[in-house]
Amino acid sequence: MFKLLKIIRGAGEATEKYPFAPFPVSPNFRGKPEHSPAQCIACAACVTACPPNALTMQTNTAEGKRTWQLNIGRCIFCGRCEEVCPTRAIKLSQEFELAVGSKADLLQRADFTLTSCYCCGSAFAPAKEVDYALALLAQGALSAEQAEAMRPHLETCPECKRKQALASIEPAQALMRG
Amino acid sequence: MSVAEQSRIGRNYIAGLSEKFPAAMLEVEWQTADQITVTVKPDALPEVVSWLYYDQGGWLSVLFGNDERTLNGSFAVYYVLSMEKDVKCWVTVRTLVDPVTQEYPSVTPKVPAAVWGEREVRDMYGLRPVGLPDERRLVLPDDWPEDLYPLRKDTMGYNQRPAPTTDTETYQFVNDGGESRVVPLGPLHITSDEPGHFRLFVDGEDIVDADYRMFYVHRGMEKLAETRMGYDEVTFLADRVCGICGFTHSVAYASSVENALGIVVPPRAQAIRSIFLEVERLHSHLLNIGLASHFVGFDTGFMQFFRVREKAMTMAELLTGARKTYGMNVIGGVRRDILKDERAKTLKLCAELRAEVTPLVEMLMETPNLKQRTQGVGRLDPKVARDFSPVGPAIRGSGFARDIRVDHPYAAYADMPFGLHVLDGCDVLSRVLVRVKEFYDSLAIIEHALHNMPEGPLLIEGFAYTPHKFALGYAEAPRGEDIHWSMLGDNQKLFRWRCRAPTYANWPPLRYMLRGNTVSDAPLIVASIDPCYSCTDRVTLIDVKKQKATTVPYQEIERYGRERKDSPLK
Ligand code: SF4
Ligand code: SF4
Repeated sequence: MFKLLKIIRGAGEATEKYPFAPFPVSPNFRGKPEHSPAQCIACAACVTACPPNALTMQTNTAEGKRTWQLNIGRCIFCGRCEEVCPTRAIKLSQEFELAVGSKADLLQRADFTLTSCYCCGSAFAPAKEVDYALALLAQGALSAEQAEAMRPHLETCPECKRKQALASIEPAQALMRG
Repeated sequence: MSVAEQSRIGRNYIAGLSEKFPAAMLEVEWQTADQITVTVKPDALPEVVSWLYYDQGGWLSVLFGNDERTLNGSFAVYYVLSMEKDVKCWVTVRTLVDPVTQEYPSVTPKVPAAVWGEREVRDMYGLRPVGLPDERRLVLPDDWPEDLYPLRKDTMGYNQRPAPTTDTETYQFVNDGGESRVVPLGPLHITSDEPGHFRLFVDGEDIVDADYRMFYVHRGMEKLAETRMGYDEVTFLADRVCGICGFTHSVAYASSVENALGIVVPPRAQAIRSIFLEVERLHSHLLNIGLASHFVGFDTGFMQFFRVREKAMTMAELLTGARKTYGMNVIGGVRRDILKDERAKTLKLCAELRAEVTPLVEMLMETPNLKQRTQGVGRLDPKVARDFSPVGPAIRGSGFARDIRVDHPYAAYADMPFGLHVLDGCDVLSRVLVRVKEFYDSLAIIEHALHNMPEGPLLIEGFAYTPHKFALGYAEAPRGEDIHWSMLGDNQKLFRWRCRAPTYANWPPLRYMLRGNTVSDAPLIVASIDPCYSCTDRVTLIDVKKQKATTVPYQEIERYGRERKDSPLK
């Protein structure tokens, strides 16, 4: 009995003041993913990696818009998105207080403009993604001017690229002429 | 992966089978050096399984069905035996089931351990085990349509919900307690965080028999994984099978795929897996020992154990970034290294845990109530244990030296310092004591692994994916082994995933453990197999002499178990 009392005394106060004082978590705690739309290029790598489909993307070609969405209610805080993001636009934070009053508040969205195809004019890829690809090229083997010269090629939609490729082959040209 | 002739383990069992059942053997294949699948003719199935089980020292770890009509035109059933006598390996007995008759001979009359598995195969695939003594449904609810077998490939999507066929429950539950509570906690799994309904058949205060019904909140995870998720995402789903030992499931799943594809996980990743696995054991065992204190009336001890347990949770958060659902496994290794600072902090927490738990355990052992309440109570007879293949501290408390970490070393366990703790009291006390010893071993393993961390990569990348390969993966959870069997599909998804949590193996013998005890011992006995039984919210008591049924809130039974006065039966 005496021993027990000693343990209890030694233990002191085991409870925390939370929520009246902040509750510290470990430095690498995986909390709510923070997304920076400014840094995001809408490449959808995180969307592909996300196991429970907490991240989704919707492309609206008519409006030339792509919407990135995080549903925090589905998120399992695994951090796969952070691992695959090429621009570090998404990072898990320390935040764990995620309760909301209305379901809609669980959703977080970001809209991105799509670039129009150089040939056919239809919207196809996020403008920022194309810029990012060009910037990468400029950082690598090409000079800034050389990279910029590739813009028409990068801003051509896959459909038109296929047609162009076909058109450059002699027998296919014959076929297309009928 | 073809396994070279000389590295094949278990040839003796195959030779024995070929000699004893020459006409029954159809195909033998090694999936890994110590995993063999033998296809036999259906008629010989019960004999073959029973020979391996009783004559050759096998234990039935899991059994399951598979809809292989798209592969070979038939259904199949697999009986996975863990061979633990002289030559340790896995022998899986497989038999094809005719897609027209959909019948095969039941193994249960010869090996009782097969009973739940065969009932489940019947529910999920509609395959009839001919001669199965207990033909009730196991998993499917009363209002599920007759001819809808969820795991068949051509029946339904994972998100389909058939309309209930009946509005009335076939099971009539009496509720005299007024407002009834529904506690939708967790899965059918391991710690059975689920509403389960117990029926204790009592004569006065004595339990003469017991029955229970589980699976009220079956989540259909196997179907979900097979139809909706990529095979590499299932590690995260496996993390969520259980709220306590999710990481163990995740390791078992990841290693099943790694075994199937012949991926060799780097040593550093293996060591890290072992560390996380033991962190899970720490907090799980402290939880159970804490509960044991609670049940014998040492409530202050319960509080203190839970206070100290928090250090194990901190350790998990520090090392993995989350208290639970660590999300650390991927196929081929782990995602996160242990850094110098984390290592130092973990070692410090280990020392604190050891120092703080020791006096608490001493005090628990000195509590006069402990021996009085637990010794000789909830006896798991060695004969019953042998017949039902229970796992974990439950079987180790009944004199059998079974621990997957020792029998089939995985992760880094081959090099770790720990013992196989066996006691032969067969009672609740033995199970508690086994857990206490294992707690200290877990600390030793974590410390050893942190001091001797192998260098090298954390992850193997760039392996080849081969459809329709299959293998077992396993890991010793705090309450017994998790067994996973995965067969890869041709669409980067699983063709079949079978996940067996330890409590699944421990429920069937529980009935025998309850018999002959008093009602006030029931909560203690149920807790001693360490399920999260908090949701077993009501108990129906049926007095066989008075032919009277009363329903008592579970809390009331639990209170009676602690205070032992004001019996709710009167
Ligand atoms: S943390 Fe995981 S679940 Fe959450 S958004 Fe990122 S990838 Fe998806
Ligand atoms: S991976 Fe990064 S850049 Fe790409 S869509 Fe996701 S957040 Fe944006």
